[in-house]
Amino acid sequence: MNLLSILIFLPIAAALLILVLPSSFNHRFKQISLSVSLIQFLLSLFIYTNFNQSIGGISKENEFQFVEKLSWIRLDLGSIGKLEIDYFLGIDGLSMPFLMLSALVMFVATLASWEIKTNLKAYFSLFLLLNTAVMGVFCALDFFLFYIFYELMLLPLYFLIGMWGGVRREYAAIKFFLYTLFGSVFMLLVIIGLYFSVLNPATGNHTFNMILMMSPENYISDSVFSATAGQSILGISARLLAFLVLFIAFAIKVPIVPLHTWLPDAHVEAPTPVSIILAGLLLKVGGYGILRVCFSIFPDSASQSAWWIGLIGLISILYGALNALAQADLKRLIAYSSISHMGFVMLGIASSTTEGISGAMLQMISHGALSAMLFFLVGMIYSRVHDREISNFRGLAELMPQFTFFVMIAFFASLGLPGFSAFMAEAFALIGAFTSEDVNGLLPRWMAIGASVGILLSAAYFLWTLQRMFFGQLYLNGGESWKARLVDVTIREKFALVPLAILTFLLGIFPSLLFNKMNASVLALVQLITG
Amino acid sequence: MDDLIPYIPLSIRDSLSSLPFLSAELCLIMGFIIVIIADLFFSKRFPQLSFIIVFITLIVQIYLNAGFLKIDNTPLFGGMIILNHLSVLFKLLFSLTSILFVLFVRFNKAFQNHDKGFGDMFAILLAVHLGLNIMAMSVNLLMVYLSLEMVSLGSYLMVGYLSAGKRQTEAAMKYALFGAVCSAIMLYGISLLYGFTGTLFVNDPSFISGLKSIPPISSGLALLMVFIGIGFKLSLVPLHFWSPDVYEGAPTPVTAFLSTAPKIAGFAILINFLKIFYDQRSDGLSTSILDWSFILACLAILSMLLGNFVAIWQNNIKRMLAYSSIAHTGFMLMALFIFSAGGFKAIIFYMTIYVIMNMAAFIMIDEIEEKTGMQYIDELKGFGKQNSILMISLLIVLLSLTGLPPTVGFTAKFLVFSSALQAYNSSGATLLLIMIIIASISTVVSLFYYLKIPMNAFLRDSSNPVQFSIHSPKVYLGVFLAFLLLLLTIFPSLLEQII
Repeated sequence: MNLLSILIFLPIAAALLILVLPSSFNHRFKQISLSVSLIQFLLSLFIYTNFNQSIGGISKENEFQFVEKLSWIRLDLGSIGKLEIDYFLGIDGLSMPFLMLSALVMFVATLASWEIKTNLKAYFSLFLLLNTAVMGVFCALDFFLFYIFYELMLLPLYFLIGMWGGVRREYAAIKFFLYTLFGSVFMLLVIIGLYFSVLNPATGNHTFNMILMMSPENYISDSVFSATAGQSILGISARLLAFLVLFIAFAIKVPIVPLHTWLPDAHVEAPTPVSIILAGLLLKVGGYGILRVCFSIFPDSASQSAWWIGLIGLISILYGALNALAQADLKRLIAYSSISHMGFVMLGIASSTTEGISGAMLQMISHGALSAMLFFLVGMIYSRVHDREISNFRGLAELMPQFTFFVMIAFFASLGLPGFSAFMAEAFALIGAFTSEDVNGLLPRWMAIGASVGILLSAAYFLWTLQRMFFGQLYLNGGESWKARLVDVTIREKFALVPLAILTFLLGIFPSLLFNKMNASVLALVQLITG
Repeated sequence: MDDLIPYIPLSIRDSLSSLPFLSAELCLIMGFIIVIIADLFFSKRFPQLSFIIVFITLIVQIYLNAGFLKIDNTPLFGGMIILNHLSVLFKLLFSLTSILFVLFVRFNKAFQNHDKGFGDMFAILLAVHLGLNIMAMSVNLLMVYLSLEMVSLGSYLMVGYLSAGKRQTEAAMKYALFGAVCSAIMLYGISLLYGFTGTLFVNDPSFISGLKSIPPISSGLALLMVFIGIGFKLSLVPLHFWSPDVYEGAPTPVTAFLSTAPKIAGFAILINFLKIFYDQRSDGLSTSILDWSFILACLAILSMLLGNFVAIWQNNIKRMLAYSSIAHTGFMLMALFIFSAGGFKAIIFYMTIYVIMNMAAFIMIDEIEEKTGMQYIDELKGFGKQNSILMISLLIVLLSLTGLPPTVGFTAKFLVFSSALQAYNSSGATLLLIMIIIASISTVVSLFYYLKIPMNAFLRDSSNPVQFSIHSPKVYLGVFLAFLLLLLTIFPSLLEQII
């Protein structure tokens, strides 16, 4: 049993334990779940320290670390050869940071799950199933396996939103499910197409090995997705079409404007822990997928479409920020701010420069921590008074000084104050976008300039919210009863908030903690894209 | 007459030497006779006797069939039927369906409490099973017709067996009338083909050369007429009109059986029939006589679209499953566009999973209907919270029907997609690509209606929660099958090594 397998299947084992335990152990479930994410976090720390930062990975199978490879499905298909599906796990600099982030966000989300009071057995089983799926996506290197984990995320989320969500939970849950599935069924077709195009040079079989799909020499010369054959489907170059299909599938997750409409609904209706996971991890799966799959397997199409991806990133930044300005519901505001911040990820990725991609990676980690923090903070207010309309609160700083302190950290970090991780991330993404014109000519400068307006807007909506809700004369819509219920941060909540705050500080001051670990991989990826 | 005399010993010898290959069918016939006798004379004293006999018969014939798994093409009875690996696989599939059906009937209250008992039902089943087996093997059009009729007649009886209420009678009548018309058209088509080619053996070289020598309009028409008979069994759009009504009206076990076994047999015939039209060089369907590729693609598209989109509006669970089974048939058609072992493997794999999930779905729905009288999706509100084990199993089955991981339904769907994409790769026909895209979209659509059941059961609350004991054989069976669907995802080799 490899370390990654333990990381992935530990939650499933815990879920099975929870399922067999009688209901009288109800109050133990959260402890089980918490210890699982704690163990995962320690494991990921161990992986972090033992990770060899000098080797890149990406398109070289022998450079992946903590590899586990078992043959899984070998169906003899006669003329097409044998179906070669492996249980293939491994990490490089692109995936390693996400393992730590996942463990951390899961830890925080479990702490936020204290407010869940009904049907605990089902809740924690689904929660742990989701944990497995997320970890699996970041470790899988076989496309088939990747897809299974990718789809496995949907079902627990559907029920987590649908069963413990708000008033319009049914609508939000099915909308989320259909949206994502719509993207991924077409992804499945591309996966099959790739499978037919790629041969494993070692065995001569078609393969689902993602790494083999990245080298042009493994493609059959006249196959659909072979770069040399230049086949076209419905009048579009086959490779470009496949890239677009994959890109859309992942971009729905990110989400980009205009495929973002599921996100505000899902966030607003989801219970706090699920919002934390959605924003903290699920959106990152989209970004990770774009890097790992779209850009690595179709680098040629990626640079062809970079301009458009950059534009989409820019639009997401501005549109998300403008929408956030207009929101009256605090949770919705943060949901839109997520869209805006993920826009930087797209912009950084599109630039295909070392700075840009490093910035995008850092932005994903940083936003993972910050959005988890933001949603946790919203959840704190909501669980106390069951309201989160911005206009119903004023002068909270007086009533909840510690809470306000954490809010200020989260807000200032999110709006890109130097010293916090988001500043570093956004700065690097912008540098990438700015230099792209000189380095590879993919993105024009005005995109970087436009994106910096987004930072300004994010400062506007965060500061304005801070001013409206926390400063000034104390006023609460619910009057005295609210005042009694709005107690300050509890110990449990501090346990969740402090690690996140520390992480954003650390990455803001020592971004090299992360940059060093992934630099070799980012360089390899840039090399792959720009040739 | 005298001319034929020298041939008589020869053909007798041939028939005699063919008999050992039909041991499974002989076993079915024996079982059939014993069940009738047992039911006539001993049903009062040992009411379970017929169940035990039919169960043993099925097990024995599975064993006998399994012995032929490795067989090569073996023409029997002067080439009227051919036994090969594929047909043995089909026969094993029928056996799986029949066994599940027998268990289902045995534990179904409506059958248990009915005056007639289930003895006759089991006799009919064995006869139908015999017909199905022959369907899977026949290459002679006369055999095709005879076996098809055998299955049809049995099915009509099955639908009307309980004669409970107008609805069931109507369903049986509708089924019989529609079936009769289709089989008449088919018979007419067969007679035309015989006239054109002078042979009834589809694998005879003179069959195809005869068809090529006459104008495509007449040969195409005759082929289409034969195809209508097969399409009726498959309930493909536009020959599907009978199925929702029949599925809704028939006793639930019968519905479960009819939506699986005859369909699979229809595919067996279709494969045997299409074999001659595959292009030797590209392995794709040839277009020389009739553009099968075009026809099948259109039918697949229509079936998937109509099946899935109409299913959305259904509130009756059985009716919804009926439409979904139309969609599944359309989906399975996609594996037929290329003549390769892979394509047939994909379809056999898919069918096996389809049998398991379809049976499981009907078994669990029947259990719910029996215990609570609920037939409609929106009655299931809040149901999952009380009966979680049953509803979670049903959820797994429904996910598998949608084709989502981590259920094996995904693996099955994946294989069919692979086969279809391979066909598109080698032919490059845009219609195939459209078909594949529509199949993808209809997966999303199907999620919408399949999820309506868990949505009501888990997401909504009911004012008066119903709870019933889960300790019943049918629940156990359903849970077991659902578990099997998960198990096969991790170990598909359990199934692979047989295929």
